[in-house]
Amino acid sequence: MAMDDVQVKDGVDAETVEAVKALSGTYKYGWNTEIEMEYAPKGLSEDIVRLISSKNDEPEWMLDWRLAAYRRWLELKEPDWAMVDYPTIDFQDQYYYARPKSMEEKPKSLDDVDPKLLETYKKLGIPLKEQALLAGVEAPEGERRVAVDAVFDSVSVGTTFQAELRKAGVIFCSISEAIREHPELVRQYLGSVVPVSDNYYATLNSAVFSDGSFVYIPPGVRCPMELSTYFRINAENTGQFERTLIIADKESYVSYLEGCTAPQRDVAQLHAAVVELVLLDDAEIKYSTVQNWFPGDENGKGGIYNFVTKRADCRGHRSKVMWTQVETGSAVTWKYPSCVLRGDDSQGEFYSIAIANNMQQADTGTKMVHLGKNTKSRIISKGISAGRAQNTYRGLVSMHPKAKSSRNYTQCDSLLIGDKCGAHTVPYIEVKNNSSRVEHEATTSKVDDDQLFYCRSRGMDEEEAVALVVNGFCKEVLQALPMEFAMEAQALVAISLEGSVG
Amino acid sequence: MAASSQTTSPTRALRDADLIDGSGAWAKEARLTASDRAQAAGLPQRRDEYWKYTRPDAFVQADVTLQASLRSGLNLFDQRNIISVAFEDGKIQAAVLPNAAQCTLESLASASVLDLHWARDVYGRLEEAGQNPIKRSLAAVNTAVAREGLLVNVTGAVEAPIHIHATSSGQSDAIIHHVIKVAAGAEVTLIETGQYGARSNIVLEVDVADAGRFHHIRVQDGNERHMLTHIFGRIGAEASFKSFTLTAGGQLTRNECVLQLLGDDASVSVAGACLGDGGFHHDDTVFITHDAVNCESRQVFKKVLRNGAVGVFQGKILVKAGAQKTDGYQISQSLLLDDDSQFLAKPELEIYADDVACSHGSTSGAIDAQALFYLRSRGVPEAKAVDLLTLSFVAEAIEEIEDEDLAQDILDHLTETLSAR
Amino acid sequence: MLKIKNLHVKLEEEDKQILKGVNLSLEPGKVHAIMGPNGSGKSTLSYVLSGKDGYEVTEGSAQLEGVDILDMEAEERAAAGLFLAFQYPVEIPGVGNMTFLRTAVNAQRKLRGEEEMSAGEFLKVVRAKAEDLKIDADMLKRPVNVGFSGGEKKRNEILQMAMLEPKMCILDETDSGLDVDAMKLVAQGVNALRDDKRTFLVITHYQRLLDHIKPDVVHIMANGRIIKTGGPELALEVENNGYADLLEEIA
Repeated sequence: MAMDDVQVKDGVDAETVEAVKALSGTYKYGWNTEIEMEYAPKGLSEDIVRLISSKNDEPEWMLDWRLAAYRRWLELKEPDWAMVDYPTIDFQDQYYYARPKSMEEKPKSLDDVDPKLLETYKKLGIPLKEQALLAGVEAPEGERRVAVDAVFDSVSVGTTFQAELRKAGVIFCSISEAIREHPELVRQYLGSVVPVSDNYYATLNSAVFSDGSFVYIPPGVRCPMELSTYFRINAENTGQFERTLIIADKESYVSYLEGCTAPQRDVAQLHAAVVELVLLDDAEIKYSTVQNWFPGDENGKGGIYNFVTKRADCRGHRSKVMWTQVETGSAVTWKYPSCVLRGDDSQGEFYSIAIANNMQQADTGTKMVHLGKNTKSRIISKGISAGRAQNTYRGLVSMHPKAKSSRNYTQCDSLLIGDKCGAHTVPYIEVKNNSSRVEHEATTSKVDDDQLFYCRSRGMDEEEAVALVVNGFCKEVLQALPMEFAMEAQALVAISLEGSVG
Repeated sequence: MAASSQTTSPTRALRDADLIDGSGAWAKEARLTASDRAQAAGLPQRRDEYWKYTRPDAFVQADVTLQASLRSGLNLFDQRNIISVAFEDGKIQAAVLPNAAQCTLESLASASVLDLHWARDVYGRLEEAGQNPIKRSLAAVNTAVAREGLLVNVTGAVEAPIHIHATSSGQSDAIIHHVIKVAAGAEVTLIETGQYGARSNIVLEVDVADAGRFHHIRVQDGNERHMLTHIFGRIGAEASFKSFTLTAGGQLTRNECVLQLLGDDASVSVAGACLGDGGFHHDDTVFITHDAVNCESRQVFKKVLRNGAVGVFQGKILVKAGAQKTDGYQISQSLLLDDDSQFLAKPELEIYADDVACSHGSTSGAIDAQALFYLRSRGVPEAKAVDLLTLSFVAEAIEEIEDEDLAQDILDHLTETLSAR
Repeated sequence: MLKIKNLHVKLEEEDKQILKGVNLSLEPGKVHAIMGPNGSGKSTLSYVLSGKDGYEVTEGSAQLEGVDILDMEAEERAAAGLFLAFQYPVEIPGVGNMTFLRTAVNAQRKLRGEEEMSAGEFLKVVRAKAEDLKIDADMLKRPVNVGFSGGEKKRNEILQMAMLEPKMCILDETDSGLDVDAMKLVAQGVNALRDDKRTFLVITHYQRLLDHIKPDVVHIMANGRIIKTGGPELALEVENNGYADLLEEIA
């Protein structure tokens, strides 16, 4: 059939169709790695916080910081404003630290890493070798290499291309390493974007985070390759609390990718991450996420509870940040990657696809806080609900009195597949000066029957047709992703909607 | 005799004996159950999400401290053929209300002493239905303590609009509760102008039966006054409900409109235009529930603000499971004439049915420089050009008024108001 | 009528010089045309003359009947007799065409210290003039330019011109977006307003409009300056050879 003839929203290309066709089965990453683990005792206390700190050989200031966060956390209440409903989490019934036994001695190089771990990442499509491969897409020679930091449960297993990056002045390592090796940078910036007491989950993370990634791009440097972190939760009953800190110094640029998966388990698991981005004058960060944590089964059993605080602080003039997220996994998602546009002429962008199928619940969106003059923000959100899922866009656009001549454009569209799911939109718009212009548009509708019929009359089965149409609906966001991720994301869109029709 | 509305503040403890003093059976029951509702829910607090952008303090404080008299008021619809009802300081100013074909008009004061009355099926009932999922305790307080209001039973097409004009003198608190019952296939227009008290708490319950039609036009002006209004509407199959409010005065206004579309093929429209100046705070809070098939709802709100005026819009469309073929539209826009003014909006969609077409849009910004230049290049002085563009901006809301003559009256009034300031 | 001397203009926001010394002298009763490639500064000239914000005059002057206009507000220039027919007439939803016209006519009269036109008189005049331009009653009732076709918008501009009776009319790319019939109708409207006192400045990219509105003088503008002035034959030359030759000639 001639694909050119298909009148699907915003031109879905042959590539998409191929990606969609290549797929079968449901959650692809639900297998488990049999590996000997070492756990901290179950539950949360000051002792556990001390233990995590000592496992990471942390200096005292870091321990003090964690303890202050822990004490603060004890005073906080779990937020209940999001449109998500889940059983009360017993924070004492979790492991807060789990690491493969083989990681007790830090491997000197990737060659020393436990082959089982290397195999795990290979199976996930993330080979920890310094070659131009990610997610099975082979890049043309000499182009698009991606450095990977691999986090397995509570620890970073290894980081590729470190030496080469260091030549360019770029620091890319695990956050635990950064606390030891670059304390001046960590002390200056950690918690400066997301304060310790920002919210319940961020405070919890501040107390117990075990690892994560650290990036510093020096002034004037364009990071020579894409950086990525791949998070894998493997152990049962274990929460993952990772912390990421990226500092883009003046006139620097980096594109950062993040992926996450977890095995299929009957019991829900907790994930509470904090990501802080700092941008100085003329810096630019592109941060892309494909979140594919185990979503739970079709009856809502198991899955990851994903409570994430992500924020970029555009401190510098003319700095620019772009968040792109494809949220297909997790049983519960609570996540609002935000931009504080402090510097004059700074820009924030948020592109999001959130798919909720079966019993999944997603409450996600962004905050654009305009503080500087002539700042710009753009929000493109595409929510897809299927099965019995609930999907909410929640966002804030705030124009402060001093943010003169600023602009915001928000487009948030929801698509419903089936009559048992819900799609909700909760934007807050606060305009406190008149030279700024704010435009917000939102629509909610169902998958277009004519488009589906058209696809099916050309030979696609219903699921293929839906995947194709949904990919068209998401096109604007998919295009914002780096190429390798875009392919993976297209495929994911299709997988996530398995069983949503018929 | 019943306690006068001036002395009943919203927070004074609701004592059963006072509430039912002089009440007939139906009113007794309605007042006591409302009192229970109000006490259970408690008064709104500053931290309440539903009061995020408007502080409830001024409505819940024990005593009214405003000196806000409005004696004359406008003679906006005087040229039209109208059925006139005058309120003064919260009292209907007529021993006998006018007679009109196809409807009966009564005062709440006189109807509430009877043991049986048609209003029992509506009074407090729609307000109660509107307490879910969000508590509106000040409306429940109103049901419990209101002693005056207009009760209209509409049985056919009423030709002339019913016009309530309210005036007040000084430091008065008015708690008024109107009930309009529109029978199947009947039609009526209600116009409200003026101010009931220095501080007013007004509830309007409207029950529109199948294929009934209800039109509501309201002009809120006045000076220092504070005003909280609730409209609770129950709309039957193929029925139509339209409400338009123009606010061009007053210090604090919160207009809540809570509508339930319970019959198939019904349509509702809630619209508002407001001109805010100086210490003006205006809040439109709308909650429309679609609980039937193939219904349409529209929300059109336009706010023009200057000199530090604050405009708030909270609008929600809730589409319940099974309410297929819903067409929901919502637009809220502000025109900020200077840097001190603020627009705060929370337009929400909550949707549990898939075959729907719902949309909302919200914009905020300054006057369009290109249009301003166009007008000035034609010789229109800047101030006049701004007025014209203001009219242009609010026109979409005024267009929601079905009756062209009444829409023209509103437009003329607005033009006058603009040129006078 | 209109005398422009050594006019230099830059964009306020971008600090970009658009007009670099424009000299023009337009006599009463004459039709002048300005032609030029895109980006030559033609539209900027029309905006600066009519008083749009965003432009800064760094040097030079412009006088209407001996009075300096560059310091006047847009509405004062209009009352002084200057009219710009916009390339893209602005839509104003909610404001009726008639209301708009009447407001403009009376505002100008007021600024000039004249008496306002009564509603009856206004209606009579506007109906007659609208008829000449084939503008029906419906178009007069509708909001200003909202839902108008390209041709209707331009006819509406000419109707405003007819009602406001300016001395100096500037037509900015009035032919853009018009088919031949619509252009003829607009040209007829303009020609009907020509007399021995009223002056026109017709800005256009193509010669075709000048087939219908015959100019007395043709100027070629490029890179912010008038680079050549001649009779109607100059427009034909451009039509046949394009702007490239002329630009080379100058360079």
